[in-house]
Amino acid sequence: MFSRITYVFREMWASLSRNLTLTVAAVITATVSLFLSGLTLLIQEGFDNQLSAWTKGVRLLVYVDNDATPEQLKVFTDALTQAKAEGTVVKDFNYCDVACSVDVAHKLYAGDPTAIELYNDKTTPSFFRVIPVNQSSATQLNQLAERLHGLPKVNAVVSPDQMITTLSVLKGFVGVRSLIMSIVLLLAAVLLIWNAIRTAMFARRREIEVMKLVGATNWFIRLPFMLEGLVTGLIGGLIGGGALLAVNQDWTDGITTRFPANSGLAAFVATGSTPWSIALAMVALGALVGAIGSATAAGRFLDV
Amino acid sequence: MIRIENVTKTYSTDVTALRDASFEVNKAEFVFLVGPSGSGKSTLLRLMSRQERPEKGGVWVAGRNIVEMPNNKIPELRRKIGNIFQDYKLLLNKTVFENVAFALEVIGKPKQVIRQQVPQVLEIVGLEDKADRFPHQLSGGEQQRVSIARAFVNRPLILLADEPTGNLDPGTGEGIMRLLDRINTTGTTVVMATHDQRIVNQMRKRVIQLDRGVIVRDQHRGVYD
Ligand SMILES: Nc1ncnc2c1ncn2[C@@H]1O[C@H](COP(=O)(O)OP(=O)(O)OP(=O)(O)O)[C@@H](O)[C@H]1O
Ligand SMILES: [Mg+2]
Repeated sequence: MFSRITYVFREMWASLSRNLTLTVAAVITATVSLFLSGLTLLIQEGFDNQLSAWTKGVRLLVYVDNDATPEQLKVFTDALTQAKAEGTVVKDFNYCDVACSVDVAHKLYAGDPTAIELYNDKTTPSFFRVIPVNQSSATQLNQLAERLHGLPKVNAVVSPDQMITTLSVLKGFVGVRSLIMSIVLLLAAVLLIWNAIRTAMFARRREIEVMKLVGATNWFIRLPFMLEGLVTGLIGGLIGGGALLAVNQDWTDGITTRFPANSGLAAFVATGSTPWSIALAMVALGALVGAIGSATAAGRFLDV
Repeated sequence: MIRIENVTKTYSTDVTALRDASFEVNKAEFVFLVGPSGSGKSTLLRLMSRQERPEKGGVWVAGRNIVEMPNNKIPELRRKIGNIFQDYKLLLNKTVFENVAFALEVIGKPKQVIRQQVPQVLEIVGLEDKADRFPHQLSGGEQQRVSIARAFVNRPLILLADEPTGNLDPGTGEGIMRLLDRINTTGTTVVMATHDQRIVNQMRKRVIQLDRGVIVRDQHRGVYD
C-alpha cells in the first residue's frame, strides 16, 4: 500500500513539474476565478450589511416652513397622532422645533461659518421625525411621504427610500454581473485543467500503454492524473482564498479608518467569520473544479 | 492454455483480418505464427490479450473466455501474459532496472519484492551489469532483452512476442531466440509471430501459417515454408 501511495505522488509531481507552463496557467485561471467568485459573495455580504444598517435607522423627515403657526403645526401633530394610533404605518414621531433644528444644523455644518450664518431662527425650518412601522418597505415610506406632503406649510419631505432602492438595485446589478463573470472563469479553469491533464496524459502515452499491457488497473493509471488536477484546483483555491482574505482585510481597514462610524458606508464590510467561510468555500470549490476537470479528462483517455 | 475457436475479426467492412480461425495451444508449448505481411498474425496476438475483440468466436486464455470478460477483469488477465514487441516499447527516461521495476510497481508489488525479483530476471536475460544504463546506451539486442525481462519479471503463464527479432541482425536474433527458448523450458507458453525464416527452420517448433486471415497450415516440428 505504501509503495502505491509513494508511486502516485511521485508520478503526480513529476507530471506537474514537466508541464510547468500549462500547470501555472491552470493554477492562475483557477486562482482568478475562485478569487472573483469569493469577491462576489463578499460584496453581496457587504451590500446586505449596509442595507440592514441603513434600514435600521430609517426616519422620515418632514420639514415645516419656519413661519408656520402653532395651529398649522397642530394639524401635523393631529395627523401623525392619528396615524400612530392606526399603527399600520407610523410607529412613532417627535418634533424638533426651530431652536432644535438650528442646533442640528449648526452641529452638521460646524466647520462652515457661511452655512452657519444661513441657518438662523428666521430661516431654518423645524421638522418632524417619523419612524415607520416597516423600516425596509420603500412603498410604505412613499405612501406616508405623499400623505404628509399634501399638508399645508410642508417645506420638504425627506425619505431614505431612494437610497434603499438604489442600493438594492445596485446589489442586484453588481451581483448578477460578477456572478456571470466568475461562472465563466470557473468554466475556463475547468477547461484549462482538463487540457493540462490531457496534455500530461498525452506526454505519457508510452507509459500508459505499458501500464495497460502489464495489467495496471485503470484506477491506478488514472489516480496520479486525477490527483494532479485536484492539486491544481486546490492550489488555485488556496491562493484565491488567501488573496480574498487579504483584500477583505485591506478593505475593512480602509472603511473603518477612512470613514467615520456614522457615515453612510461604514457597514459596507463582511464581518465575523463570514470572510473565512467564503475563503474556505473557495478552496473546496477549487478542489471540486480540479476534480471535475481531471476526472473527465482521465476518464475519456482510458478505454481498455 | 490458449484456445481460439472459430474466430472472425473484421476491422472495417472491407478488411477481414481473421476468418474462422481455430487452434489450441497447450501449456509450455512454443508456437510460431508465420505468414505474409497483413495475414493477421499481430491481430491474433492482440486478441489473446484482449487488446482487440473478435466479432465472432471465442478466445479462451487460462481456462476463461476473455471475449465476454468485463473490463475490470482485464488487468488480472494481462498480469498472466507478457508482451514483447519489435520496437521494444521501453521507457526512454528510465534505466534498465527502472523499466523492469515499472512493470511490478504499477501492479502494486511492494518494494522488497521489486528489489528481489528485478536483479533475478536481469540475470536471466544477461543484463545484470547494465542495470543502471538508459535504453539509448544499449544495443538493439540488449534493449530487446530488457523488454523480455520486463515481460517475464512477473512470471507470466504466457509470453506473446510480435516479431521480437524483426529489428535485429541474425546473430543477435539467435541470442534472443535462445533466451525465449530457455524461458519456454521453465513452463511458460510462448506464441511468437515472425518473418524470420532461419530462426523458424532452426528451432523446429510448432508452426501455424496464416494467409489473408485464414489458417492454412498447423504443423508440429515445422519449418517456415
Ligand atoms: N487497427 C486496425 N484497423 C484497421 N485495419 C487493421 C488494423 N490493424 C490491422 N489491420 C488490418 O488487418 C490485417 C491484418 O493485420 P495484422 O497487423 O494482423 O497483420 P500481420 O500479419 O501482423 O502483418 P505484418 O507481418 O506486416 O506485421 C491487415 O490487412 C491490416 O491492414
Ligand atoms: Mg504484425
